[in-house]
Amino acid sequence: MSGIDETRLRRAFLDESEELSQKLGESLMALEADQANAGLVNEVFRLTHSLKSESALMGFTTLSELAHRMEDVLGLARDGSLTIGKPVMDSLFAGADLIAEMMAAIAKGGSDADSTTTDVLQGLSAAGGNGRGRTQASALPQSPPTQGAGQAAPQASGPPGSPSAPGAPAPIMLMDFEKLQLVEARDRGEALLRLTVSVDEGEAMKFPRAYLVFSNLEAVSNVVKVDPPMHGETAEDSLYGRTTVLLTSGSEAEVMKAASGVDQIAEVKIERCRFEAFLSGATADAITFPGREPGAAGTPAAGTPETATTSPGQDEQARRMGPVEKTSIRVDTRKLDDLWSLIAELVLHKSHIARLSEDIGHGKDVYTVREELVESFDSLDKISSGMQQAMMDTRMIPISVIFSKFPRLVRDLSRKLGKPVDLALSGEDTEIDRSIVEALSDPLTHIIRNSLDHGIEFPEERVRRGKSEKGRVSVSARRQGGNIVIELEDDGRGMDAESIRRKAVGMGMSGAESFSEAQLLDLVFLPGFSTKEIVTDLSGRGVGMDVVATRIRSDLKGDVVLRTEQNRGTRVTLFLPLTLTIVNAMLVRGEAQLYALPLTDVDSTAKLAGSEIRGEEGRESAQWMEEEIPVFSLGALFGSGRRRADEYFAAVLRHGDRKAYLVVDELIEEREVVIKPVDDLLNSQKMFSGVSVLENGKLVFILDTSFIRREQF
Amino acid sequence: MGATILIVDDLSFMRMIQKEILTEKGYTIAGEAADGLEAVEKFKSLRPDLVLLDITMPNMNGLEAMRKIFTIDPRARVIMCSALGQQNLIVEAIKAGVKDFIVKPFKPERILSAIAKALKA
Repeated sequence: MSGIDETRLRRAFLDESEELSQKLGESLMALEADQANAGLVNEVFRLTHSLKSESALMGFTTLSELAHRMEDVLGLARDGSLTIGKPVMDSLFAGADLIAEMMAAIAKGGSDADSTTTDVLQGLSAAGGNGRGRTQASALPQSPPTQGAGQAAPQASGPPGSPSAPGAPAPIMLMDFEKLQLVEARDRGEALLRLTVSVDEGEAMKFPRAYLVFSNLEAVSNVVKVDPPMHGETAEDSLYGRTTVLLTSGSEAEVMKAASGVDQIAEVKIERCRFEAFLSGATADAITFPGREPGAAGTPAAGTPETATTSPGQDEQARRMGPVEKTSIRVDTRKLDDLWSLIAELVLHKSHIARLSEDIGHGKDVYTVREELVESFDSLDKISSGMQQAMMDTRMIPISVIFSKFPRLVRDLSRKLGKPVDLALSGEDTEIDRSIVEALSDPLTHIIRNSLDHGIEFPEERVRRGKSEKGRVSVSARRQGGNIVIELEDDGRGMDAESIRRKAVGMGMSGAESFSEAQLLDLVFLPGFSTKEIVTDLSGRGVGMDVVATRIRSDLKGDVVLRTEQNRGTRVTLFLPLTLTIVNAMLVRGEAQLYALPLTDVDSTAKLAGSEIRGEEGRESAQWMEEEIPVFSLGALFGSGRRRADEYFAAVLRHGDRKAYLVVDELIEEREVVIKPVDDLLNSQKMFSGVSVLENGKLVFILDTSFIRREQF
Repeated sequence: MGATILIVDDLSFMRMIQKEILTEKGYTIAGEAADGLEAVEKFKSLRPDLVLLDITMPNMNGLEAMRKIFTIDPRARVIMCSALGQQNLIVEAIKAGVKDFIVKPFKPERILSAIAKALKA
């Protein structure tokens, strides 16, 4: 594909096909619920079809082949020759999953060929009915898509009358009414011609190609017989590699033009025949026009057969490029309109200010000008914050992007586990920053999986406990102040806080005897807390919950809280910031450098007397409320050490269940800062989550407060 | 200036590829359309020398669009873009007078030679 930037194409391909793949999943869910819906069958057909074409174009033959098989099955369903039922749906779902898996691999710089397709293809083949030529013939996993229809079946399998051996002219037997046509043509003085039309080996659709020639010929001649026949209905493609057409015409030249003007035709051989040879009922073998070289008028229509332009090596290279980063986004046009109207206002004020400066030059009263200037600045202030908001809005996408995957997840798990479960989704329209959305998918999936795996009981057990047979999982999202709150709730068996306490005490955790219920439940998020035996004890909660907590608390600067009631169910609540790009922070100074502490991590500020700090240097602590918490200082972390003083300013940092004092030189103010990524060189110790630049050009490091959990630096 | 071509495909990705292939060879892109309805409208207003028409599209499919285009101009040059498995649709299109068809996935040479032939005819 010369002249086309591969990387850009791949990115465009991924953008589009990821959307197709997602829609495919959704449409399959809809189809499963309404299997007789022809519109849905069509929709799924169209999606697999698009996926097939796109991936083939990019050289992802394994992916294309898979989509092709799915399309075949759907094609049969669409024609009514296949009834959609559970086996068909299952095979389609499996296919859709595999497509998503391949797409993810491609996005990471891998290849679709890394996935194993054999099982899924066999499933599709079985679902489509094994007896069907193409589905079966090309069920081989690695065969490229173009080999499916055209070249697989040998011509010898054709019906009687079809060409029996390559090179030999086919015998043509005529019916009475066809003979009558010949007689009439002879009387009109026309010529009788036999054409042998060979379609390019590379043509993927031989029958339509041959039909196109036939159709062109019909327009300029009287076609008497075609072999194999053409009734204008879909026919077995492999039979039409070579077609014989018997026709009569007044102009040989026109026939030649009509036959050779078609692309993808390897050769057209025209022979002039004697009428008598056909009228007497003889076979065609003997009737080559004497004295005329057979094939003299043959025109290789498409020149040399098409050769592949890229070697396999290049293909492989194209498929295995580096990861493709998403650089394009879809933005609701209304959001851009808002932004645009603000920019229009901005331009207006710019010219106003320009005019004011001219006014001063022209000696206009300075006080009047000043008043107007102040007014203009007020407006500019509003516009700039409006623009900031509008720009932020373009980063926001509805959380339905993730939620829409859950019906499928719950359906699959529910079937697998044999636990019927209803899923209720609400607040799908809630908008959230796209960078958060991406990181949120895994933890939410994990929590739902836990609910079904361990929370929801088997139907018999539920009935015994006086519950409905069907379990219920609900997932909701809403905006609450500057947070997005996501709740995942099940009506399963819940957990017993006391058994967590026993486990904690057993593990020798200090103070566990007096932990509140909330504190006990928070232990579930500790890495390594839940072991195999406690998994059973606690209905399995806790497996991987530490990973969830890390993702939510450290990566996303949010929080996660667990509430449970035995036999009633469990609720996991996530609190997430609206965005990761702007954060409310407390600006502090340590020596000459400014730092920002995200307000979500600041519990309070305090004055700390030097005498309150206990312990040796590097492991100091002080009392806060009823707890003894560690004392860190900016000076010790980043500077020349904590200066000695009688009294210190400190912020009380909170990260998850940990708290710590951070001693600073100055607590400056609370304000919004825009987070920019920080260079690895500056952040070798991973102490910063970003950097921000203030209006005066000063650099502010945004502290990643999770350091207070670390043992070492 | 090369012949003018209207590209019709519901996938912007496809349109992009076709556009790149054609402009590189000196053809002029008269316009693009993402469904059959838009294709007919654009054909009416732009009167391109040739239409590359995808067969499966939402709203109005390629066949229907082609028929509408032929009522506007019976001599219109239309090349259908289809995929394997759409034999019947292609045959129907041929019956209705389509000049040629291309099977996706296609190589750039395919689309170019089909267009060259169709324009010459």
